[in-house]
Amino acid sequence: MKQQQRDKEKLLKAKKSIVEILEVAMEFERTAQVFYAELASRVSKRIRYLVEELAEEEQGHYDRFKKLRDREDLEEQINTLITLPASDGHFSDAVHLPQLGEKPDDQEVLQYALWREHLAIDQYHALAESTAPGPIQDLFLFLVDEETKHKKELEKIYYEVVHSGGV
Amino acid sequence: MVYQPDRSQYPQQRADGSLDIDLESGKYLKLWQGPQHPGITGNMSLELTVCGDEVVEAKTHVGYLHRGFEKLMERRTFIQCFPIVCRICVPEPDFNEYCYAAAVEELAGIQPPERSDWIRTLILEMGRINSYLMFLGGQAGSLGLGVVAQWSTYVRDLMLDRFEELTGARIYHMFILPGGVRGDLPEGFQQRMEETLKEIERTLGDIEDVMFCNAVFKKRTVGLGYIDPALFNPYGVTGPNARAGGVAKDVRRDQPYLIYSQLAFEPIVGQDSDVFARADVRRRDLLLSIDLIRQILAGMPKKGPVMAKIPNVLHWKIPPGETYIRGECSRGEYGYYLVTDGSGYPRRVNVRGPSYTHAVALLERLIVHVNISDVAGLMVSLHTYPPEIER
Amino acid sequence: MSIQDLLSPFTAWKNLFRDPVTIQDPFNDRPGSERYRGFHKNDVASCIGCGTCETICQNAAIDMVVGEGEPTGAGDSGLRPRIDYGRCCWCALCVDICMTGSLTMSNAYTWVERDPDAYRFTPGVDKKSWDNAPLGYQRAESHRLAPTQRVTMGEVAPERRIGSFEEIVQGYGVEQARLEADRCVSCGLCIATCPTHMSIPDYIQSVRDGDYEKGLALLYETNPFSNVCGRVCTHKCETVCAAGHEGEPVAIRWLKRHIVDQLPVEKYRRIIGDPKPPTGKRVAVIGAGPAGLTAAFDLAKMGHSVVVYEAREKPGGMFRYGIPEYRLPYDAMDIDIEIITSMGVEIRCHNRVGTDITMEQLHQEYDAVLLSIGLHLGRSTRIAGSDHKGVAKAVDLLRDIADGKSIDVPKQCVVIGGGNVAMDIARSMARLQKSTQGEIRVTVTALEDLDHFLADPEEVKECGEEGIAILDSRGPQEICLDDQGQIIGLRTWGVESIFDEQGRFAPRYNPEDEQIHPADRVIEAIGQQSDVTLLGEALTEKLAWNRGRIAVDGQGRTSEGWLWAAGDCVNGPDVVHAVADGHRVATDIDLMLQKKR
Repeated sequence: MKQQQRDKEKLLKAKKSIVEILEVAMEFERTAQVFYAELASRVSKRIRYLVEELAEEEQGHYDRFKKLRDREDLEEQINTLITLPASDGHFSDAVHLPQLGEKPDDQEVLQYALWREHLAIDQYHALAESTAPGPIQDLFLFLVDEETKHKKELEKIYYEVVHSGGV
Repeated sequence: MVYQPDRSQYPQQRADGSLDIDLESGKYLKLWQGPQHPGITGNMSLELTVCGDEVVEAKTHVGYLHRGFEKLMERRTFIQCFPIVCRICVPEPDFNEYCYAAAVEELAGIQPPERSDWIRTLILEMGRINSYLMFLGGQAGSLGLGVVAQWSTYVRDLMLDRFEELTGARIYHMFILPGGVRGDLPEGFQQRMEETLKEIERTLGDIEDVMFCNAVFKKRTVGLGYIDPALFNPYGVTGPNARAGGVAKDVRRDQPYLIYSQLAFEPIVGQDSDVFARADVRRRDLLLSIDLIRQILAGMPKKGPVMAKIPNVLHWKIPPGETYIRGECSRGEYGYYLVTDGSGYPRRVNVRGPSYTHAVALLERLIVHVNISDVAGLMVSLHTYPPEIER
Repeated sequence: MSIQDLLSPFTAWKNLFRDPVTIQDPFNDRPGSERYRGFHKNDVASCIGCGTCETICQNAAIDMVVGEGEPTGAGDSGLRPRIDYGRCCWCALCVDICMTGSLTMSNAYTWVERDPDAYRFTPGVDKKSWDNAPLGYQRAESHRLAPTQRVTMGEVAPERRIGSFEEIVQGYGVEQARLEADRCVSCGLCIATCPTHMSIPDYIQSVRDGDYEKGLALLYETNPFSNVCGRVCTHKCETVCAAGHEGEPVAIRWLKRHIVDQLPVEKYRRIIGDPKPPTGKRVAVIGAGPAGLTAAFDLAKMGHSVVVYEAREKPGGMFRYGIPEYRLPYDAMDIDIEIITSMGVEIRCHNRVGTDITMEQLHQEYDAVLLSIGLHLGRSTRIAGSDHKGVAKAVDLLRDIADGKSIDVPKQCVVIGGGNVAMDIARSMARLQKSTQGEIRVTVTALEDLDHFLADPEEVKECGEEGIAILDSRGPQEICLDDQGQIIGLRTWGVESIFDEQGRFAPRYNPEDEQIHPADRVIEAIGQQSDVTLLGEALTEKLAWNRGRIAVDGQGRTSEGWLWAAGDCVNGPDVVHAVADGHRVATDIDLMLQKKR
């Protein structure tokens, strides 16, 4: 596992092709899915739904990126090399999953998930800014949009769970 | 110039005062005038016994229009009675609305706002004009002068237009309800009313020319249906029927209600107490109403509420009590006697309509010795509306 | 008689030269006047199907029928008036009484049909040519057939009430209550909306009639907490009250309180009646709050033996430990609880399930167990500094106040939250500050803007009267500490918008608009959750859950056949909902016990 992580980090060092970036993104989602799936068995059954939903969500993202990578009509652009932005570090940080404690509660899980989404948005945003207008930039903007939607959805759940307004 | 028939062939009176009429003798004939007859005011009928073309005895028959309003009201809440009462008198429904509303207000302790009193007075005078216009057409028509009815119906229609724009309806206005009136005067009402009043005045001039200054009309009405003023009190004669005999009875002045005490007027009186005098009193009373409407529209407060705060009408209970509210309608004294028992329904409502006294007992007396062709003219001259006889 | 009388009639001939006065085409040239009471129109979207038009119609011309395609919902019966023009007399009382102003009349006055049944129609639903007629009768603004203004409730003046926890609302006197009760139109929309379906129009009628014993009997049919609900109910009934559409809703809650205020507690039992003979079945209830005690009351009436386990010193649950005394005096709730115990319900206080007795023991000892534990754990924002000891949760402080513990009163405090709990703690703190330091320095910061406040408007208003500063649209960011680690304030950002397009909670902040609200203590009142640790891990794992709450079926039964759950811990916070829930589970438990027999 550790070796794999290091490889991924290397992947993100210098210039990369889109297909590589997509693969990092896929890896990002995949590791998260694995993390949540594993976490689900540890948390109280009361809040397990939350973790399971997150795992499902990540799986969905993964499938989506995979489809994108496999699209033939993008083949040409997909091999274009682009310069990685400075914020790339954040992204690879997130591929490492931080500790969430042995028994996290719903609020902690949500805060963690929010933080991850935030990183992803930052990363794709920076990537979009470093590319010229065109289909590639559109792709990054699309990814920003996707992750922003996810984050917004999570925020709503967060406020519904935590800020119930009191009696 | 009282009509003096030849009495030689008339039936003898028996010792008890009844007439000795032997129908087998061939001298007498029973004739029904009504209930469907143009010479009858409303759905009522007269059972005439005639000898030649002279009436020797008459019985009045009512009941063709009985809808049991008084009883219906005992099973309706106080607000639900409001749409019913106007139906008790079709040509001049507003008196029912006013009397009922005022009776309820008195027993429930509600003070309607001042402006609503002015509007109520206005409506009552408008209704009086309509009633008189209908009378003039009927009185002239009953004696063969069809054109007057056409003219008076036209101007009455103009007044109905005013009613429509003020109250939302032409005949059954349902505008005066306990607590006040339903709405304020519409924009430009005073001006349109003035135009209508002018048109009525002009038409009245024409009517005077063809009806009152008419040799035929005078010939047939002067002296017909004379009511001896001594009969007024025993027979409960009120309104123009009494005023035409020189008695200045008018509830508007004698016991002022609404805002009549703030209006300048004198009761219209006549002298001869016959059909002509009664028609003339009504014509002049109509002119008085026109004057009163002008006074009202000029003197009315310009602003203010028209409806008092009333309790929730859906379960409105009124403390036990009784009251009698009266007013001067176009036919005489109109009154409502209302008894409440603390429940949500009137315990008893009694309507005092002037038609009851005028169209039954008085008519039966006046009709004796009258020529058949004058019966219609006589009956109309008493200005009676059968629906208020049989509430 | 003169020669003039012979000639004068001939002047009639002059009319030969006049224009005709008749209108040639009355259908087009002579529309009905602006106020004409013509055919009915109904704006079905604003009609609520209250049926007052049907009630007032003296001709019985109106029937309330199911309006095709009209959704039935809170405050809308889904019925619409159908009018029979064979009976209608166009008096327009239906228009005058209409509670929403949806029913009006057009100025149309001709309508020709071959089919006589066509004249019985549902305005607005059956489309007619006059539906959009601009003219026609509408009720004048001033013309109302029922009072629109609520009878003012007497309240203790802010200057006086702030000095103590004295009850603010004074209650209606008999005459005031009758006037207020008079405003009800008995449409019953409130019954459908009330979670426990109280017979509201009937008990309001008992106020009008002055028959309080009947009123109390009606209250107890559906709610054993009328002293409590008469004061602090969330009164959803009032939000759907027909009178509220064009006026103020009837003060249903205060009228309920008025009934219980009129009768001495000694009379209650005779009016309610005695429980049924014992069945020998035993039921345990965990938590002596509104849901648990309602179920206990019902079950005891049915003859079952009920034991209520309460962790705290006194019964009452959220309403004793969450609602301050100035809103709900302890004496009032004690009356309701006293009646419940008088039915044979045993309440064991200081008995915490999970420590003093386990769920497994309850399962073994009783025929059925009901979990009604409320929401006693406060949520935290978990912003930086929120783990400081000077940061407290509102529920914990309110509980300490209810238990009579001495509170360390801050000189200046900031409350985070915009719900009723935030108002409760802010006002409680203000009272404590007033009595200890004579000066009130409480600030409430809420995410929501004032238009979307979760707290009741009267709470917000009264906060203002009591000198509490409410800052709306402020998002908490950090609890600021000085060098010594003492709290100096709360840093917030302005909130630009609070809801997203779907109306879901999604605040957006503006970091430029930053403020620091000075305080030596911060109180979090943002939300609550139930403490389900008492279940133990094994049971937690066995039970089915629904998004963080115990999953129950329509009758309140959990996936474990012996265990029911009810109240706030299942439905979220609402006292009357909890009462309704208590009835529901009691019925279901009884059904199960009968089958067992």
